[in-house]
Amino acid sequence: MSERIPNVLRYRGQVLRPFVTLAVFCAAFALLPAYTTGEVGTANVFNVLENFSGVGLVALALGLTMLIGEYDLSVSSSYLLGGMLAVKTGVSSPVVGVLVAVAVGLLVGFIQGFLVAKLRMSSMPVTLGGFIALLGLDYVISNSKSISYSNFEVGLSLNEPIASIFCARSFIAIGIFLLAAAVFSFTWLGRDARAVGSDRAASRTAGVRVDQIIIGVFMSSAALASFSGALLSYSLAYATPNRTVAPLIFATTAALLGGISLSGGRGTPLGIAAGVISLSMLNEALAITASPAYVTALVTGGLLVIVTVIDAPNLVRWWKTAKARRGSLLTGWKGASTMRARDR
Amino acid sequence: MASTDVAAPQAGAIAPRNSRDTAIRVAVWGAVSILAVLVILGAATTSGFLTTTNVRAILSSVAFVGMIAVATSLIMVSGNLFSLSLGATAAITAMAFLALLSHGIVLAVVVTILLGVAIGALQGIVVGSIGANPIIVTIGAVSLQQGIALWASGGATIVPPKGDTSYAWLDSHIFTVPVPVYVLFGTVIVLDQVLRRTRFGRQLMLIGENLTAARAAGMPTTLVITGAFALAGLCTAIGGLELGAFNQSGSLLVEGTLTYDAIAAAVVGGVAITGGRGSVWQALGGAITIAMISDILLLRGYSEGVQILVKGVIVLVVVILMRLNRMRVET
Repeated sequence: MSERIPNVLRYRGQVLRPFVTLAVFCAAFALLPAYTTGEVGTANVFNVLENFSGVGLVALALGLTMLIGEYDLSVSSSYLLGGMLAVKTGVSSPVVGVLVAVAVGLLVGFIQGFLVAKLRMSSMPVTLGGFIALLGLDYVISNSKSISYSNFEVGLSLNEPIASIFCARSFIAIGIFLLAAAVFSFTWLGRDARAVGSDRAASRTAGVRVDQIIIGVFMSSAALASFSGALLSYSLAYATPNRTVAPLIFATTAALLGGISLSGGRGTPLGIAAGVISLSMLNEALAITASPAYVTALVTGGLLVIVTVIDAPNLVRWWKTAKARRGSLLTGWKGASTMRARDR
Repeated sequence: MASTDVAAPQAGAIAPRNSRDTAIRVAVWGAVSILAVLVILGAATTSGFLTTTNVRAILSSVAFVGMIAVATSLIMVSGNLFSLSLGATAAITAMAFLALLSHGIVLAVVVTILLGVAIGALQGIVVGSIGANPIIVTIGAVSLQQGIALWASGGATIVPPKGDTSYAWLDSHIFTVPVPVYVLFGTVIVLDQVLRRTRFGRQLMLIGENLTAARAAGMPTTLVITGAFALAGLCTAIGGLELGAFNQSGSLLVEGTLTYDAIAAAVVGGVAITGGRGSVWQALGGAITIAMISDILLLRGYSEGVQILVKGVIVLVVVILMRLNRMRVET
């Protein structure tokens, strides 16, 4: 296959894939009234962008860790904990609440990044411990209850529609995505992060400061998740502890749709943004059509499994082996020889 | 630490390595002893810990968490980290068991177990055949199972048919020990033999230790990994139906913190999260430790949050210690 398609085009294809996905989702979303009774209005676009600023930033956080070939399970706990911390500490000054949430996120990210970078631990067990511990912390701080935020004005001003489809929160999120995209395109950080994700040993030899990149990415991941949790709690005017893995499901699916690969080294922040908007539109479509809860759960879980299967490292080899085996059954030695020829 | 400098005077070049070696050894054993002392002290000083009722409560809890910890250890040993969907499988099998009771206990048990095996095997095929990430697949499986459960139950809590006592033996006691405890020990004994003495068990260990080598050796890696997940589903389904019989009601809320407890138990028991090493006995030991810790915290009036927090910290500490120990062995 690699002989037929030039590398440049393959690379372009990879980069463009999330945007093609986005275009397909956009078209399906716009055509929604044609095949359902639901109405699509500016309020729905507003919701999509609002979702973009909540779990969307979690997807960016998780996507960054996936880009360097790791996976931060704890983002969903950081997201909940950030919201809880902000509601608890930001009563008199919302800025203080956000700062506390971000500071705790940075600390959490530093500890996890340090363990992954310096002890060369796999990020799954490390962030699993972090995930459970932070979840417990969230329950401890809130005493297992929903905590309401008395400073309603903050939420109102964050959610005030601007030009009927935006709000302050979505502008903040768009700003963060653009900033991340700029850092990735125009500074050495993006190139080095991709290098760390592609081949860690080679990057180390080439002089990339691998450990610093890993620690930095984990810190920004946890801080981003905390920050968006804080903003979400302000806009809802409450924070509630729960064990749901829904943010993790959304973030992972969005990142994979956005062209990030679990094996690392691939993808861009703008791709993640495209993935987030695609998935947000799907969620909004499920809401517009008033789909029952089980449909939403099945679609969410099913889509995650599908994108994971597409991203799986051995998919191509499995497919070729299966095809060759079928071929050899049908045509005898000829099939076997094609298999040999196709094997790298 | 001073003693190590004395212990290796003749080999100056390797002295630093030896002292680091000892430091790690001290850290690992120190942490293990601290944990053991804490649990024993906690048990001794908590009023109501050493009562028959409480010991029985711990045993019941070990019986449920233990089955799922054993399931987790099978997946860990196969080199596929852990599954985040076992708690959901336990919940869905508890619901299925109670719903099927109207067709008779035998059918209910058999179909529930088959359901668990199928749920596990499906995830195993996806993970084993194409190397899909087990964590993500199992997170997706949580949502899929919740969707199916919601669709089938209409969101209602499942209760057994009125007046049906055919399943009461699952929640009865033999010599004051709950039946699920015997089931757990039986499962552990059988699975231990399977892992150590059968071809499947040995292949599973090698695949967990080194997938590339196992594949190069021509082992049926997809089949074996699928088998490990199917067995994990089987254990979880047995735990699930016992849980359904114990609670006499089934809903998705049954899941609780089972998944995390089971992972914590397998990790604390010393099953290598990276695969290839560990036994079901270790998972059982871990489950007993975790159940005791939960019980002590509960008796001392600590909230659910503190219990979860403590388990998270324990997982983190244990995986760090195991990594340090591994680094010591490798150098």
